[in-house]
Amino acid sequence: MKLFDSLFEKRTRQLAQCSSRRGLLKSLGGLLVGGAAIPLLPVARAAAAEGAARPLEEGDPNSCDYWRYCAVDGFLCGCCGGSMNTCPPGTEMSPITWIGTCHNPVDGRHYVISYNDCCGKSSCGACLCVRDEGDRPPYRPDKANDISWCLGTRSAAYHCTTAVLVGVAFEE
Amino acid sequence: MRPLFFTLGLMLAGTAATADDDVRRAHYNYQMFCQGCHTPDGSGAGDVPRLKGQVGVFLNSQAGQEFLVRVPGAATSALDNEQLAELLNWIVREFAGASIPANWRPYSGREVGALRKQPLKEVIRYRGQILADIARARH
Repeated sequence: MKLFDSLFEKRTRQLAQCSSRRGLLKSLGGLLVGGAAIPLLPVARAAAAEGAARPLEEGDPNSCDYWRYCAVDGFLCGCCGGSMNTCPPGTEMSPITWIGTCHNPVDGRHYVISYNDCCGKSSCGACLCVRDEGDRPPYRPDKANDISWCLGTRSAAYHCTTAVLVGVAFEE
Repeated sequence: MRPLFFTLGLMLAGTAATADDDVRRAHYNYQMFCQGCHTPDGSGAGDVPRLKGQVGVFLNSQAGQEFLVRVPGAATSALDNEQLAELLNWIVREFAGASIPANWRPYSGREVGALRKQPLKEVIRYRGQILADIARARH
């Protein structure tokens, strides 16, 4: 036991003589600050680039007052076996769609939303949502949501509507 | 000398930011007014004409260059003349690919403003005629 005591005492004294407490603080501090800054740079930039078109989310995607549904006129696919981005099984997403912008209250930005209808089955009947913001009369057909957008699909039977995020709106 | 370089650098950065804004605005206008039917990559769907790799063919004749402005979707769009010209030029540069003629002259707001006053009432037959004329001139 005595051998251990003397060995450790010797090593501790040696260490104390060869290093300073400030030196330890300096290197430890350098490590903490440097370590925090260096890996953050590229990661933070990558995250910022990715987040450019990714909105901060809040709210229930199966509820009509969810922000992406600002111009919907139809049944929400999330209540029909699909989601806000996907069609329910047995239906086909129309490649032809009407597009508008919605304001996201969480991050305060406007996003371009594509309302792709899901087609091929009769009306879903669940979660009817009629908000119509930005809806225009049929003489502006590209901005009218009263028409069935089941165009370019094998069947023209309307089932439900998705709200696919296309990008961030351009603001001057 | 150094402040001069600094000023030049700032000026260049300013120009680049404006050009970048123009591209972003044109892309946004494409999303808002065209993409719903012509699809995000210009492939078209069903009866909607394909822009990708095709739209530049029209620029081989004066009637074709005018046609792209006079089609109802362009001529009667809610965009002003400058932004419509910017959008049409963006569509050509983005989607025409190899179909763009070497001597193509980009649209100006003034040119677009004059042409959109004569929107086409009949499109499909006239379109076929323009493409046939271009094909004949090539052979």
